[in-house]
Amino acid sequence: MSALKRVQQWATFARIWHVYDAAWQNPFHSAKLLKKYLMGLHKPIYHPLNDCGDHVIVINTGDIALPEDEWKKRAYFHHTGYPGGASWTVAWELHDKDPTMILKKAVYSSMDGNLQRRYTMERLHLFPDGKVPADLMKNVSNQIQQIRPVPKRLDHYSEQERKEFPKLIDYPKDYILR
Amino acid sequence: MSNSHIFLKSGFIRTPSQNGVGRYVCQLQRVVLKFCKNNGSSRGMREFVESELINFAKNNPGVVVYLKPRRHRAPVISAEFLNGDKQWVSCHNYSKQDISKWLNLLRTQSGNTTGFRLRKLQHTDHPSIQGPWTPYTFKDPAENLAEYPNTELSKPKIQLKTATDELLEIFNSVQISDKKGVE
Repeated sequence: MSALKRVQQWATFARIWHVYDAAWQNPFHSAKLLKKYLMGLHKPIYHPLNDCGDHVIVINTGDIALPEDEWKKRAYFHHTGYPGGASWTVAWELHDKDPTMILKKAVYSSMDGNLQRRYTMERLHLFPDGKVPADLMKNVSNQIQQIRPVPKRLDHYSEQERKEFPKLIDYPKDYILR
Repeated sequence: MSNSHIFLKSGFIRTPSQNGVGRYVCQLQRVVLKFCKNNGSSRGMREFVESELINFAKNNPGVVVYLKPRRHRAPVISAEFLNGDKQWVSCHNYSKQDISKWLNLLRTQSGNTTGFRLRKLQHTDHPSIQGPWTPYTFKDPAENLAEYPNTELSKPKIQLKTATDELLEIFNSVQISDKKGVE
């Protein structure tokens, strides 16, 4: 193999680092998206036997949005292996204990249970907030697009924007806002 | 089921040092015709040796031809190639024409084709003119300068108008028409 071809090989199989902002995203839909990047399914060179998966850094996993009443209804099962060792943890409770766990489990269960799954999961880096170690962040060269827009809350608008927003009426001066 | 193929050499089709481009070097170096002088199965081989072998040797001065008579054994062609391969062809009950054709095949081969499995029926040293894909092909060069995490790049591609946006749009359009009415 010539020097040029060797470099070509490195370029084609280079591992890319992606970053994904999980704020206001459905973790189960996000898992299907992230799985493609982790396994390398988005690449034209993909083959189950070639190791072409990428790294994904997920930030703000603490701000994920579960649909409907899943925070209350979704239960995570664990068994210690001892008699009476079964336990069911509700999603909000699990999220309180570890804000990355729901997304981690969602990605893990979105993939087929084969020998490669544990190694693929090693390439997923989850952070409950925006604080990512600089040595990881400097590798990143792509941002994965979110699957739904982040809603803008009233306190995200500036004072100026709020004043200029069209109003039907002005409250009387002696009106008490509760 | 036979497993003999699993130790078979395998690879891609190739031409030894661009043979045939500018000059041609016959890759067959040595051929041994083994036959019996009495046995009926060697009749075609004997006829070939009598009538055609001299011409073959004259036409191919690069090929060393050996004859090996041996009693009561089946006729065989053993060919040795420039790359070290050795091919063995059984010529039991072959006619003169058959042997001539087999010998011609061995002469034009570049090695032992029976001891080699082709992984693909075609091969090229340059599979792509534009170069193989890399993660950076088809990427927007502007992303090289982007700071990550990037809120602009993170936004979904398809963004529908929110109710707030529509309300503001209606409000603005009404204001413009009001101004026109005044003028």
